[in-house]
Amino acid sequence: MDDRITIKVADLIGSPLCISAEDGQKVFEKVEPLLKKGKSVTIFFDHVTMLVSLFLNVAIGQLYGSFSEEEVRSLVKVEGLSGDDMELLKRVVDNAKKYYANPKGYDAAWQDGENEDE
Amino acid sequence: MKLEVGTIRSNMDGFNRIARIAKETRNMLLDSIDLDFSGCRFFEANMVAPLYVVIARLRNELNDVSIQNVSSEIERILKKNHFFTVFNMASIPDNNQTTLPFKIFKLHAGEQFYDYLESYMKGRGIPRMTEALTKRFRQSLVEIFLNASIHSDSASGIFACGQFFPQKHRFDFTIADAGIGIRENVRRYTGNKKVSSCSAINWALIEGNTTKTGRQPGGLGLKLIKDFIRMNEGKLQIVSRFGYYEFSASGDAIEKMDHDFPGTSVNIEINTQDTNSYCLKTELSSDDIF
Repeated sequence: MDDRITIKVADLIGSPLCISAEDGQKVFEKVEPLLKKGKSVTIFFDHVTMLVSLFLNVAIGQLYGSFSEEEVRSLVKVEGLSGDDMELLKRVVDNAKKYYANPKGYDAAWQDGENEDE
Repeated sequence: MKLEVGTIRSNMDGFNRIARIAKETRNMLLDSIDLDFSGCRFFEANMVAPLYVVIARLRNELNDVSIQNVSSEIERILKKNHFFTVFNMASIPDNNQTTLPFKIFKLHAGEQFYDYLESYMKGRGIPRMTEALTKRFRQSLVEIFLNASIHSDSASGIFACGQFFPQKHRFDFTIADAGIGIRENVRRYTGNKKVSSCSAINWALIEGNTTKTGRQPGGLGLKLIKDFIRMNEGKLQIVSRFGYYEFSASGDAIEKMDHDFPGTSVNIEINTQDTNSYCLKTELSSDDIF
């Protein structure tokens, strides 16, 4: 029996606009405990009219702070996203993997050039 | 005090002129400032957003700001885009529907900002663009707005205005805030108190860099916008404090301005004739993503 759980994003956040970090956090807080219990989750984006990276960073990118790539890959699916939004999600996921692999790396990688007094 | 506004276009010169007004009025309190438009030959309508940054800061110090010697042509433009309502003047109808009117948003009004884009870009004369382009454009504007919401700390909110230039097939949209600037954010985050405005903008443009705290990934918004602008052959300008950054098909450049712009302003100019699909040929599946 398939006990995959579907989270309907637009229903959960009460809006077709996936733009705020707060709403992203709402999704994350539903997905994370389910994954901790080993449940398979489908994040369903039907009826969403606007999606931005900030929301996805918090809702999905943040999962890589709690779970391995393998765990996320085996348990999480997304549905209902257009092709261009899937590409956006791919960028967010790649960025999140890099971030959690070395959170301080982004900062250290920055070598400031000329610092003038202003 | 009377201050010349001069000709204002979406370029370094235009931003410098606005920043100069801020500099000349920096410590004014409970005073009167007349913005003199007699030397203003042209005012690109979207630039009212950064001009309002200066006005908002002055009004915040209880100064009285007024305008004078505005030519009838410029008055028409700035009444059409509702900007002159901030001086208690009535707006006039935008019959050609080439304007997304000037609007002041509360700092965390992302959804209202989206509604504003929806209502002014849908089914109006602004401009006929492909669905894919419209979507990427709106996404980019919402990303910019959210950046301002999260990082600016602007007490007066966020100011937005857009203008379509039909002959040039260009659409300019500017989002500005009277906040602390990218420099201050990067200084606080890195602990390096000497980071210049230009270095701070460069830092913010690196994919993955964000001053957001709380162990969450971020720092994609500006990179996504740059990728979009590159494909669209449009233009991106970021002005924050002394820093002026411009990215277009001819490359990118960052320069120090003569004066300190008291906030951040992001302008994107898109080519409205673009027919790119903004989608890879092969569709990604859930398995390709994670």
